[in-house]
Amino acid sequence: MKRFFKSETGIIITFALLYLLKGILPTAFLTEVVIFSIYAMGCSFLIGRLGLTSFGQPAYLAFGAYGAGVYLYYFGHNSLVAIFVSVLFSLVLNMLVGSFMVRLNSSYFTLCNQAFCVVTFFLFQKALVKWTFGDNGLLLISRMDPTPIIDLTTTKGIYLFAFLMAVAVWFFYQYLMKKSVFGATCLCVKDNEMKLRFLGYKTFNIKWLAFVIANTTAGLAGALYTVYFCMVNANIANVNTASEAVAISMLGGAGTLFGPLVGSFLFIGLKDIASQFISHWEVLVGLLLIIVMLAGEKGIVGSLEGYLEKLKEKRTLAKPALTKEGGL
Amino acid sequence: MNSNTEMIIRAENITKRFGGMVAVNNVTFSLKKNEIAALIGANGAGKTTFFNILTGNYFPEEGKVYYKDLDITDYSPESRVDLGIMRTFQLASTFDNLKVIDNMRLAYYRANNKANLRNTFFSRIDRVVSEKIDACLETFGLTKMADRLTGNLSLGEKRILEIAMAIVTDPEVLLLDEPFAGLSDGEINECLDVLRQQVGKKTILIVEHKISKIEDLVEKVGVMVEGVMIAAGETKATLNSERVRQEYWKTAQDDCY
Repeated sequence: MKRFFKSETGIIITFALLYLLKGILPTAFLTEVVIFSIYAMGCSFLIGRLGLTSFGQPAYLAFGAYGAGVYLYYFGHNSLVAIFVSVLFSLVLNMLVGSFMVRLNSSYFTLCNQAFCVVTFFLFQKALVKWTFGDNGLLLISRMDPTPIIDLTTTKGIYLFAFLMAVAVWFFYQYLMKKSVFGATCLCVKDNEMKLRFLGYKTFNIKWLAFVIANTTAGLAGALYTVYFCMVNANIANVNTASEAVAISMLGGAGTLFGPLVGSFLFIGLKDIASQFISHWEVLVGLLLIIVMLAGEKGIVGSLEGYLEKLKEKRTLAKPALTKEGGL
Repeated sequence: MNSNTEMIIRAENITKRFGGMVAVNNVTFSLKKNEIAALIGANGAGKTTFFNILTGNYFPEEGKVYYKDLDITDYSPESRVDLGIMRTFQLASTFDNLKVIDNMRLAYYRANNKANLRNTFFSRIDRVVSEKIDACLETFGLTKMADRLTGNLSLGEKRILEIAMAIVTDPEVLLLDEPFAGLSDGEINECLDVLRQQVGKKTILIVEHKISKIEDLVEKVGVMVEGVMIAAGETKATLNSERVRQEYWKTAQDDCY
């Protein structure tokens, strides 16, 4: 069962189910869930696999969002190109920012990312207001041409595209976390960075690449947001939303493959439903988070995996035939 | 000095201060190829500091560390690994969230590949397969727990795994920092058996404060008291020398036997 969840078919089936939900749940909701889960994926990877908690994720989201926004507003009309350009743009920026950020450890990393997020917000809202139009933002609705194959200007088109992107991201992270040597070294950074250095691995490089990968994923989510909402304003980098990505990662299970998806689903779902009844719906998320954390600090998917593991152990104890299984 | 190629690792006149305290005071120590040596001394004698200078955690204020004839005083731990200097830690230092076999694979991978980002990114960990890993697991009695999570192992098993991780990289020099601390007698004997298999194959330095356990294993011993190496040489002779009797046995008699 656990193996099933971890293999490629697990991803395909999960996303197929998600796609089928389109018949029951509104497309707008699902689109947001999918985009948010891509955003949370990077954050979850950093927390769960490297032990680096960043409260500055909106900044990296904004890199991608503004990459696409600025391209569409000033240069071209093709949303697909805009997304591609913005991923490249955030990749380059993250390589630069990462080389400073990953020098910091634990709480300093967290807080400096937050500080960086405040700076980014200020940049987009005030300093670059001439080009970004601050809080009003870049309105792109008239600037986006229908794209061939998948038309990103329609709600169905953007959902399908975001959905396919998510599948790609999931395959990528599955390889990264469960299969590659790099993924294993990432986990070792969290476990015992000193020992890793004395095995001869350069931990700075490992953390740097992980940072770049995680935050470029956030950039992709940002670009998708821009195309989905047909606009981008400075609020996307607002530091007040920084805890969302972290909360979702923890809720779903940091470092697990499906954690961000489950977390986003719950988070956006709660937001959409509860905000109709109470104005401070965040209270519910907070309470839920505390309950889930008290139940073992592993998040929903993490706890579930642990439970399945126990079941499996019981079964193998009953039947002592051991199967040899590679990988993590 | 440089003509002495037989020495594989050589520390000359090492001095290290922390604030006003001299932790290591003008210490000279060397290891021949395939020699097993011990560094003993009471707690606070500076043996771990000296050890950390050999491995690259600290850089000495004075003195030089040579590997063969290469001056490695300023080398980072990572580049010392490239030369074949491998260490273990006082607290068994393994990767608890990985399986036992993956711990071994990571150690083996680094020793046999250029572990830059591109390589590590494009290699699959389950494809890091080698007879050497299997042989090493077998030798150290870890085969049956290969698929277990390292975090679930006992301290003694982790210590053995750590030594196995060092051996699988096929190092020239193996530096063990208090490998027996916190182990039961049974576990110590298991560790000793493991180490005996390496006699004559590897250059090994063991830091301990009790000599009794390793007295018949080591060929050479260095005794440190308050930052000074008071004696170094062949085990029996050194332990029985006048100065060691006076200064080391006196200060640490209860500790040692």
